[in-house]
Amino acid sequence: MDREAAGAPPDFHFYPLDLYDSEDQLHLFPEEHTRTGRDVHAEMSSEPGEAAAGKAQRDLEEEVDELVHLYALRGAGEWGAELVDGSAPHMEVLDHQPQLAAAGAQRDWRLGVEAEDHGYAGWGAAGHSRELREAYRYAHGRASEEYECYVIPEEEDEDEAALVLCVTCKAPVRAVEVSDEHREHEVIPLSKALQSAKDEIHKNMFKLEKQIIEMENFANHLEEVFITVEENFGRQEQNFESHYNEILETLAQKYEEKIQALGEKKKAKLEALYGQLVSCGENLDTCKELMETIEEMCHEEKVDFIKDAVAMADRLGKFLNTETDVEISTQPDFEDQTLDFSDVEQLMGSINTIPAPSAPVINPQAPNSATGSSVRVCWSLYSDDNVESYQLSYRPVQDSSPGKDQAEFTMTVKETYCSVTDLVPNTQYEFWVTAQNRAGPSPASERAVYMTAPCPPVIKSKEIRSCEEAALICWDSGNLNPVDSYTVELTQAETPEASGITESVVGIPACEALVQLQPRQSYTIYVRALNVGGPSARSDPMTVHTTGSCFHLNQHSRHPWLTISEDGFTVTRSGRKTEKELPPSNTRFTRCVAVMGNLIPIRGRHYWEVEVDELADYTVGVAFEDVPKQEDLGANCLSWCMRHKFASSRHRYEFLHSKRTPDIRITVSPRKIGILLDYENSKLSFFNVDISQHLYTFSCQLHGFVHPCFSLEKPGCLKICNGIAMPKHVTFY
Amino acid sequence: MALKQISSNKCFGGLQKVFEHDSVELKCKMKFAVYLPPKAETGKCPALYWLSGLTCTEQNFISKSGYHQAASEHGLVIIAPDTSPRGCNIKGEDESWDFGTGAGFYVDATEDPWKTNYRMYSYVTEELPQLINANFPVDPQRMSIFGHSMGGHGALICALKNPGKYKSVSAFAPICNPVLCPWGKKAFSGYLGTDQSKWKAYDATHLVKSYPGSQLDILIDQGKDDQFLSDGQLLPDNFIAACTEKKVPVVFRLQEGYDHSYYFIATFITDHIRHHAKYLNA
Repeated sequence: MDREAAGAPPDFHFYPLDLYDSEDQLHLFPEEHTRTGRDVHAEMSSEPGEAAAGKAQRDLEEEVDELVHLYALRGAGEWGAELVDGSAPHMEVLDHQPQLAAAGAQRDWRLGVEAEDHGYAGWGAAGHSRELREAYRYAHGRASEEYECYVIPEEEDEDEAALVLCVTCKAPVRAVEVSDEHREHEVIPLSKALQSAKDEIHKNMFKLEKQIIEMENFANHLEEVFITVEENFGRQEQNFESHYNEILETLAQKYEEKIQALGEKKKAKLEALYGQLVSCGENLDTCKELMETIEEMCHEEKVDFIKDAVAMADRLGKFLNTETDVEISTQPDFEDQTLDFSDVEQLMGSINTIPAPSAPVINPQAPNSATGSSVRVCWSLYSDDNVESYQLSYRPVQDSSPGKDQAEFTMTVKETYCSVTDLVPNTQYEFWVTAQNRAGPSPASERAVYMTAPCPPVIKSKEIRSCEEAALICWDSGNLNPVDSYTVELTQAETPEASGITESVVGIPACEALVQLQPRQSYTIYVRALNVGGPSARSDPMTVHTTGSCFHLNQHSRHPWLTISEDGFTVTRSGRKTEKELPPSNTRFTRCVAVMGNLIPIRGRHYWEVEVDELADYTVGVAFEDVPKQEDLGANCLSWCMRHKFASSRHRYEFLHSKRTPDIRITVSPRKIGILLDYENSKLSFFNVDISQHLYTFSCQLHGFVHPCFSLEKPGCLKICNGIAMPKHVTFY
Repeated sequence: MALKQISSNKCFGGLQKVFEHDSVELKCKMKFAVYLPPKAETGKCPALYWLSGLTCTEQNFISKSGYHQAASEHGLVIIAPDTSPRGCNIKGEDESWDFGTGAGFYVDATEDPWKTNYRMYSYVTEELPQLINANFPVDPQRMSIFGHSMGGHGALICALKNPGKYKSVSAFAPICNPVLCPWGKKAFSGYLGTDQSKWKAYDATHLVKSYPGSQLDILIDQGKDDQFLSDGQLLPDNFIAACTEKKVPVVFRLQEGYDHSYYFIATFITDHIRHHAKYLNA
């Protein structure tokens, strides 16, 4: 049985679910039914007993199929059985996968083996287990027999038409010979009778089959319960054992302590008594000696006696003055010793309660699990702790002001995960979790830092450049803190040949990206910002057409006398005469009244057109970005330009590079100039668009990237036309 | 109309051939050169006619201009006829290099003794194209014309006199205004008589003034150091002024340092073939 189909990792421990929420487990099974059912069906239909053909049999087969689908509930039992083997469930599953549709007996056997392995005998329930096993096999075996019974061969009797059934007599009679005794009776053709009888039997068989299935299911359920009980009691047994061992150890320790204390006390008392005895003996000796001395004195001469008596009296006085201690220093009986069993009592009391859980392990943030305002925090337990709920706490991580205490938030959850919402985008949060049950809370987990996804970036629509092969997309981050990277997503616009597939360019470090595209297509482009937490939502979409080249004018290069229209493509020089010297600049044209465009840096072919005023003095062409801004366009080796001058009713056209121009005369003044920049062939060509006339081609070595440039030597205006497909006639140049 | 192949040489994947045939218009044997690009083996190609200058035969262009590579790449059949009838035994036909043999000026002569044979205009605009269309894999709808000097004049007048017949026209140092230059005056008076009003029908500058304005893109290259330019034989300014006035599109390129020779032609032949290819292969 493929457990992963039920959405659980292979080494996931299922049985706590069995214990505390058996309904959940039941919900898992229906997903399994169809799979198993198909397997069983395959086996059934290949049994040789079903070789006979006929419509009735096909019907039967259909019924069998149905039953087999129902019968697939067997899978639940098998599954449960495997779950019991918690020590190596994954191995078990792999071993038996090919035998999913194996005969019931075989599975019974396996169930029995597993049960025994699991140590029923250990607590003397082996007999019970065997009973259950047999009961199961009984139900199963009957089912198999029933299947065989389904195969009722169709009896194609030649005489069938000639036979009829007398319903009243319930006996078959020949139709031609319906005798008098049956004349009054209800008679039906035998085939019809046979059919209805068969139908009846089938109906009954179906009922029986249903009953078998139900019984089997019930048996399976009993089996599960059996296993669950076994498991639970096993755990509780272990629990008791460890607790009682703990108490015994505590008691033994207490005993040791008490014995030792008692011995020490005894020794001290004996030593004290002995000391007293010794000093008592010494006193006795002294007394005896004094008595003897006094007796001797009594026998002495009077003079000597008097003399000695005085000395003796002094000595006696001194001796008698010395107190003789006859109090017993130590009492022979015990002091009142109370035994403190409070800790033991506590231990005893805790036997029937569940230990408080150990600290959960908080997982590091899973990739792509966060949104801009939420993160999904996950954690797990070291062991099979009994947990009623978790306390998840968090606070934003702030490096800047550590003194300021950030508000902490705590929530209670039942699961080992939680989606925390209403957070600030692109921000780090510190999370920690404690588990708790009746016995109390666990220590807190380690702290893990999770990050919310960033805000979506904002595409700078005014700075998008494109050509037929690529587009350069720029955007604002949209986030104050830096993000890890950006992703650009491209979808080809809805056209019949477009696939509609979204392509992604990932891992873009900066706020711009050059993406390769197919020519002459429309793309919808989105940008996402990414950090460890995941991607932001999509930016607002931006459409890019890869027809021709598109660029915008570079406002920083614009000579102040030029104005650029709202749409950004019409350059006008008004007639004012405030000729004021401007300070030189590296980016801004200060003498030549010009402006530059920002062309996409792609070394392909670029084409754009400029609508010109036939009487205006203008210059159009290309220049390197670092072209001297104080010089006229075409007056140096960094620019290539076509210049038109209109003087004394004559048009003059120059094709300027390094101040030099070929001598070219053009009879029809172009109103729209096409410019083809061809990096591949190092050419820059000019065309009169209206009449497809080629005007001139520069051969120019372009080592770097050049940009379109436009200038107006006299008041007038130029209109830049972007995104134009290259006309066929220009492809010849 | 039998064609006699004089030579055939492989060149840039194609074949440079020379044929001889009996011309109906000119009543003499005429040679012409034809280049068949590789593309002509598999399909019809556009035809581009080259008209050579004074004293030239069909050989000058095919041996000196180096046009083959460009013609091969663009897939153009290029036809280069001779510049006049030959061997007609007309008195004085070989007396000078700028009149008679090698100087047909692409006009239909009206004066004796030239009017029988010297019908180069009809030859290059009618007989030769029919011959080419009938014998070579060319698309009759796509033809253009170009030339050098007198041939430049011929190309311009053929295009201007037949609006729409030629997709494009170009010229190297053409005689732009023959009625006003010594060569033109000599030739036209000889072939067309003294009535100068008849001359204008073969003068590009005059023809432009009455050109109906069908789209015609004219490319002209002119060497700045061309002695005939300074001699006043070519007079391109007159033509440009007329085109400017009539808004007939011309790009006229005065090429610094180049003279009237085939070296000048060889330098810019690729530009001209591309110019024609742009219209012929559009």
